[in-house]
Amino acid sequence: MITELEVGGIPVVLAPTTGPMHAGLVFRVGFADETLARRGITHLVEHLALHSFGVADYHYNGATGVEFTFFHMQGAEADIVAFLNGVCAALSDLPMQRLVTEKEILRTEENGRGEGPTEAMALWRHGARDYGLATYPEWGLTGITPDDLRAWVAQYFTKENAVLWIAGPGVPEGLELNLPSGRRQPVPAPSSALPVRPAHFSGPSNVVGWDTVVRREARSAVFSGVLERALFRSLRQESGLSYTVQTNYEPRADGSAVVTAVADVLPEKQSAVLGGFVDVLAGFRLGLIDEADVKTVITQRAEEATRAEESGARLPGQAFNLLSGRPVQTLEDSLAELRAVTVADVAAVAVTAHADGLLMTPGRTRADWAGYAEAPRESESVAQGTAYPSLEDPSVVVVAGERGISLVGDGSAATVHFDECSVLLIWPDGARRFVGHDGIQVHFEPTLFTNGHALLPALDSRVRPELHAAMPARDPSRIPAPQPPGQRGYGHPQAPSQGGKAGPIVGLVFAVPGLLLFGGLGLLMLLASTLDDVDRGFEVVLGLIFLAFAAGAGYGVFKAVRSLRGR
Amino acid sequence: MLPAMPPHHPVLDPAVAYPKIAGLRTALDDGDWPACRGLLDPAEPAERTALIQAGADEPGLEDFLRGVLRADPADGAAGALLGRHLINVGWEVHAEERAEPGCPECFRKAERVLISAAAHSPGDHAVWVSRLITARRLELGRSEARRRYDRLAELDPHHLPGQVEFLHHLTPRRGGSWERAHRFAVEAAEDAPPGAHQPVLIAEVHLGRWRETGRGHLAGETVRAELYDAAHHAVWHPDFRRTHGWVEVVSTFAMVFALLDDQQAAASLFAELGELDSAHPWNLLGDPATVITKYRRNAERAAGGDR
Repeated sequence: MITELEVGGIPVVLAPTTGPMHAGLVFRVGFADETLARRGITHLVEHLALHSFGVADYHYNGATGVEFTFFHMQGAEADIVAFLNGVCAALSDLPMQRLVTEKEILRTEENGRGEGPTEAMALWRHGARDYGLATYPEWGLTGITPDDLRAWVAQYFTKENAVLWIAGPGVPEGLELNLPSGRRQPVPAPSSALPVRPAHFSGPSNVVGWDTVVRREARSAVFSGVLERALFRSLRQESGLSYTVQTNYEPRADGSAVVTAVADVLPEKQSAVLGGFVDVLAGFRLGLIDEADVKTVITQRAEEATRAEESGARLPGQAFNLLSGRPVQTLEDSLAELRAVTVADVAAVAVTAHADGLLMTPGRTRADWAGYAEAPRESESVAQGTAYPSLEDPSVVVVAGERGISLVGDGSAATVHFDECSVLLIWPDGARRFVGHDGIQVHFEPTLFTNGHALLPALDSRVRPELHAAMPARDPSRIPAPQPPGQRGYGHPQAPSQGGKAGPIVGLVFAVPGLLLFGGLGLLMLLASTLDDVDRGFEVVLGLIFLAFAAGAGYGVFKAVRSLRGR
Repeated sequence: MLPAMPPHHPVLDPAVAYPKIAGLRTALDDGDWPACRGLLDPAEPAERTALIQAGADEPGLEDFLRGVLRADPADGAAGALLGRHLINVGWEVHAEERAEPGCPECFRKAERVLISAAAHSPGDHAVWVSRLITARRLELGRSEARRRYDRLAELDPHHLPGQVEFLHHLTPRRGGSWERAHRFAVEAAEDAPPGAHQPVLIAEVHLGRWRETGRGHLAGETVRAELYDAAHHAVWHPDFRRTHGWVEVVSTFAMVFALLDDQQAAASLFAELGELDSAHPWNLLGDPATVITKYRRNAERAAGGDR
């Protein structure tokens, strides 16, 4: 039974547990609230707030998510009181002397955001804003100032924007939770970068992924479970094509939920796993739902919820509910909603789920044959302005004007309109990268253009200052230098792992030996790695291909001047 | 003086050998779907696939079949027929302009119909045969072709129309090899019951390889022996039956022996065919009617001369 209380003006959800006391302080803030220019600020606040606890011998942690950030601890009551009061004190007075060090720690922190094989899907679905931001590196770190942090805390880490959950007998003695007053912060409206759905894009070679946005309700959760059973049966049990087959149901604060499905793929089975996956999804689209699966999933979910109630594991979800403006749901209500779900309900969810679906195909496979539109990976228009040809390959030009910048070549274009720009990354050596709301990027290396540096002040002034993000200095060997045609090598000799702690984007390395050795190949495998620790070795394989074979011998100079829809 | 032999006019229309095809065509022309189902539903799988293949050649079926599917989206026969029909439409588009005939958008359209048909009727052999064709035309990849064939083989491990289609996926042209294709053909023949049509797959592989690599391929002793062996297990086997597809099987072996210059064997198979012929595999040599007439004449002349 969950009890609702209040401590220091903060709502509390309390329930008994079978183990030691466990409590968590949740704030309604996450990646989705950030801008790309300040990407990482919530995570940085979380780190600074926890700094004073050092390596103490108890179980505490912080977590920054897409919509919520929380601090939690399991242990003795007195320790929990000290921890939560300490977090609130630290939030009121962040240890700014730690700023430089914590930024470094964040840059080297690996896999801290629960990245999975489907991580890129948020970018393709939402672009470079709100719910798409989780995909991006913490590009804001270098430029974030103490004032930025204080303003962020004042807006989001307030009494009104917090909820506490406690799994234990009662509110522990001495809990004060001194936080400033503010306002409850609504979640942002999700942006869309998919003009046509269902859509597809080519992702990593070892996985098929699919996601969709449905209404947040019990029948959607059951749909997710039933889909997992059908995929598992088809791809693993019957055909032995995949080993790991999973779905996930993730509620969102706005009353929607994201259902994600993944299946792993062996290189020689890419098309078969995709084909089997498409067939299972088609069955759902047509409402062909197995009634036994529905019953099994309902039973499983009811058992899980009942167990969670006993251990207090339903509490974080109820805290999220309160912060989303939803009432606390009792176990009984939750079970009643779950048990009322019918096959027809699941079939109805399946139809809307398919209509909004985004399919990530493995490697170079596609899904247009199955009725999935290709997600946009290049721009439809070119900016109006002056054309600047590349020093190495005059057929590739940057067009810069009052309202936007384009990279044009080989019949396709990447354009970022300045009034639809999510971030302008600024390197001290002059390199610039514009990322549009749709995720399309234009990267500009001034050394590769005649008088390239002279263009910079005008380019910078076109993008609002709050969207500028300073990048750390690059190793000089990573700054490209034009080479006369014919002497161009392929790619940069530097290994991607050299980023070290030098800072966020150190450079772009184009590994295109295939192109250069076999210049006539129809398809350029553009393997761009964005190199730095924050990127965590993200391999951006979503590159636009318009630089492809125009250069014939490759395009050494231009390797860093290209756009891609990537991170 | 010998009496002049009447000139042979090859009968290539499968409806002559298989009268149900004519019935299906009439029913389709009449827009009489219950009559179509009446012909398709009781048919054996291989016959049903062949009926659907032949019926799908009728022009202008799309609107009619889409109407049937609107009334009952789960009608597997309509889905199979429409999918196959759209494949045929795809083949006809630009057929004259391209080495590889077909229009990808048409095949995608066919595939989308077949995806739904497979979801509604996963046990429909004809759907999986057609999906082997779309997999090839849309270049979906070998592992997907294998998956589709495996789905078919679960229903019937000896479904010859599907085996013929899958064989294409195993050839070098599709990233496979002649050895792979050959192995599949031999295994399919070995696994099939005595007197079954499957040994024709061995003939198909050798004809395909001969066409790609030149006449020398058929001259090898091993290949020759294997083709005779295949004929003994099929058209010369006492259990060989004139079930659906027999004309093409006999016709294929007739062509094999004509190319091996065993005119006697070719002539006896032509005699077995009587007035019937099949366009495949003679179309490998040119216009089937012309080619068949020529080879029949040669075989009859040579075989008659020997007598």
